[in-house]
Amino acid sequence: MDAQVEKNNIKHVKKDRHLTPWLFVAPHLIIFAIFFLIPVIFGIYISFTNWDLMGSPKFIGLANYKELLFDNSSVFYEQLRTGLKNTFLFVVISVPFCIIVPLLMALALNVKPKLGKFFQALFYLPSLFAISAVVIIWNLMFNVAYGPINNIFHLKTVWTGTQPYAWIAIVVVTIWWTIGGNMIIYQAALNGISKDYYEAAEIDGATPTQQFFKITLPSIRSQILYTVVMTTIAQFNIYGQPLMLTNGGPDSSTSVLLMYIQQNAFGSGQSIAGIASAMAIILGICIMIVSAIQFVFLRDNSR
Amino acid sequence: MRKNKLGSRIIAFTFLLILAIIWVVPLIWGIVTSFKSEAEFSTIGFKFLPINWVLTNYTELLVNNASTPLFHWFANSMIISVSNTVLVLIVVSLSAFAYDRLQFKGKNALFYFLLATMMFPSVVNIIPLYKIIDLLGWVNTKWAMIVPGAAGVFNIFLVRQFMSNIPISFDEAARMDGASDFTIFRKIILPLTKPVLYVVALFTFTGSWNDFLWPSIVFNDIDKMPITPGLQLLQGMYQSQPTLLMAGAFIAIVPTFILYLFAQKYFLQSMSLSAGVKG
Amino acid sequence: MYTKIPTVVNSGKNIPDLNIVHAERIKQYKDNNMLISYDKYLGDYPEIKASNYVTEAWNIGDLDGKRYSLPLDIHTFQMYYNKDLVKKYAPKALDDNIVTFDEIQAAGEAAKKDKITGLGVTWFKPNFLSLYAQYGGKLTKNGTDVTLDNADGKKTLEKYVAMYKSGITSRDGQDPAQLFQSGKEIFYPEGIWMQNQVKAAKFEWGMINAPQLSSDLSKAVNWSSSHQFVMFKSKDRDAAKTKAIMKFIAWVRTHSQEWAKSGQNPASLAIKDDAAYKKMGQSFLINTPEEQATMKIFDYKYNGFVADSLDKHVGDAIFGKVSIEKTLQTMQKEVQGKIDKDQANKK
Repeated sequence: MDAQVEKNNIKHVKKDRHLTPWLFVAPHLIIFAIFFLIPVIFGIYISFTNWDLMGSPKFIGLANYKELLFDNSSVFYEQLRTGLKNTFLFVVISVPFCIIVPLLMALALNVKPKLGKFFQALFYLPSLFAISAVVIIWNLMFNVAYGPINNIFHLKTVWTGTQPYAWIAIVVVTIWWTIGGNMIIYQAALNGISKDYYEAAEIDGATPTQQFFKITLPSIRSQILYTVVMTTIAQFNIYGQPLMLTNGGPDSSTSVLLMYIQQNAFGSGQSIAGIASAMAIILGICIMIVSAIQFVFLRDNSR
Repeated sequence: MRKNKLGSRIIAFTFLLILAIIWVVPLIWGIVTSFKSEAEFSTIGFKFLPINWVLTNYTELLVNNASTPLFHWFANSMIISVSNTVLVLIVVSLSAFAYDRLQFKGKNALFYFLLATMMFPSVVNIIPLYKIIDLLGWVNTKWAMIVPGAAGVFNIFLVRQFMSNIPISFDEAARMDGASDFTIFRKIILPLTKPVLYVVALFTFTGSWNDFLWPSIVFNDIDKMPITPGLQLLQGMYQSQPTLLMAGAFIAIVPTFILYLFAQKYFLQSMSLSAGVKG
Repeated sequence: MYTKIPTVVNSGKNIPDLNIVHAERIKQYKDNNMLISYDKYLGDYPEIKASNYVTEAWNIGDLDGKRYSLPLDIHTFQMYYNKDLVKKYAPKALDDNIVTFDEIQAAGEAAKKDKITGLGVTWFKPNFLSLYAQYGGKLTKNGTDVTLDNADGKKTLEKYVAMYKSGITSRDGQDPAQLFQSGKEIFYPEGIWMQNQVKAAKFEWGMINAPQLSSDLSKAVNWSSSHQFVMFKSKDRDAAKTKAIMKFIAWVRTHSQEWAKSGQNPASLAIKDDAAYKKMGQSFLINTPEEQATMKIFDYKYNGFVADSLDKHVGDAIFGKVSIEKTLQTMQKEVQGKIDKDQANKK
């Protein structure tokens, strides 16, 4: 091979080196831009307009936000308050369960009891189901006349129609449906803790409780932080459970914000997409603030 | 010490057994109810098990399907979920490889930017995303569900974490032999990444199969719908026939369940390598 | 669901040549200038005319002197009844083909001791709207603003609350469809489109007007809606396609048996006297002009907002969770708030 060609080749390869990484990431970045980035930017823009999904959006500045946040005579102001209050309430009740229950499951599975593999599969199983299938099953579980719960415990509770049972039903269904993922993450994390730590602790006479707080918890700190943040985000997006179990009732007490957003933008009447978009942005900001607080708090706490 | 271990195993087993009962009862109740006749269910008070086991709910849904397009829904969901999963696997493995193994300007900044967008709730873009799908002429088509799902970042993060545990010496040896980046990706990294790709496939497939809000917005043609919003329609149509609804719910569960059986053994392995997540 | 159509039309793509939409939507589409009038094409089809269709379904398509839609069917919310239970608890109720609320109340009282429910509390929207109309209530006075929070609205809810309190209706959390199906409910108001489900019942059942205040048929109201054919504006629809569309609509007019077999009532009167059709339960609504006149389509422009609000709140009032006054106020405010927003957006 003559030297000139060799040199050209190297040059060529070098140039290639700059380009190839981009070829690898391009497919994702293109899809990401079209179906995530642009919609987000467009969504923020819509929230400053009076768009009705039909005509072209007209810019109206901060009017939507002003109405949502300060105009207490507006029906949308009320929707936002009710929706946010109910969404927050759900997050506050459900997130601790969605962390603690799977953590206890993972701890129990970690001592390798009999049938461990079976238990793991069983607890994960519901997260494979579609929410509409889950609700079909649970609606019948909670049925006043035909449901096993009322019949086995001889109750007459109207689970999905009266409080606090409506919330209990929604939270129970959520736990049953979603904890599988977190359980697997904790299991993996617990697996990774070296046995030496525990042996050393045992020699020092540490009780199981002390071991849990001094060794186990710190070792899986990052996984806990990760699951707390991700679970919180997921629960803020609650929609299917109240829609199909309670239809937001009784007296709008389980009407979550996403239900209002969906109905305003895509309901049976004329679309009010502009203000619905502003509601979505406000929900988005709430989620980000809460995530950030959790992040800072859990991080500092562990130092 | 032995004794202590045994004791904790018994406590753990008992605890898990109690939870298992709570977890399994709705499932069993659902399954057996789908084998009850409507008449038996509604007239003979509460009985956990059927008196007569019948298949009529399933045959009604699958054979006499003139009124319920369950077959269509099922096929639609299959096509959507499989295509979406394949697309995600390709896109994700390529990107993860680049973010883990290759060097390019702004790589870290870009990656952290992508991670930060994960915090952004998806509700914000549902309305505009609908408009974009409409501009593309994708309303009422499977594309509306196949492509946007590949915009996600979480899987790239998961796969990258997994890849970073594969020794770099593997690539270097291959590079010495003159292998291109793509060859290294395809011949060396991809085979070793298989376990986590199974997990990504499971997550993606179930996510796509179970998606509810989005398909109920982009589909209004009943025949073109996937099964998850279809089931909700079924709930409206057959509200007085819960045994039939149960059968529908369990038909919808089958594919994800089968996939899970295949992917299960890779689960813990991939998670322990990937979940070394640092927030 | 329906909000998708406007965006499709606006983007000018993927427009089917002919669409079937619900009657309540047509005003909204017309206001947004999305529809093509049929007037130019009707000349070749003299049989597509008012006297060949159910009046209520036909009139919906006539807006400002122009015809924007042609009717396919008219589907009505009426009442199923269990023949055995009626014989036992309300033997005279069916004499005049109308079951009044008083008759239902009496039957329910008589059946209470046997743990039989008198009336199922079913879909709130049509139940509310048809009783509201019987009391003389109007959803709007000026065509734009909603009127729900008034004396008629109050009387409507009071009627249902009183029946619920007296214990003759299905209870909160109970499934009225299930109760009827299992032979434990005498009267079950539901749409004619639910016939295929009711068919599975193991007893003799019949279909009759929805519950009425008066036994005078001329005062009866049965909530109805109608599927209508419309042509959305589209560049792709040429003369040949339009011709094919008109031919199809004309064909549907005389071939509505299949549609009837699925439980619906065709809007065309062509099969009115057909023997097979007369045997179908839903045909009672079409048989006589007097009966036809009971069917009322609620075509108020903001019907969609009203529907969402009724379905969300009426249950709270009936089951005693929220007071009647507060429920009406909430619904009035909710619907009017959305209307104001829509009006402001259109300016």
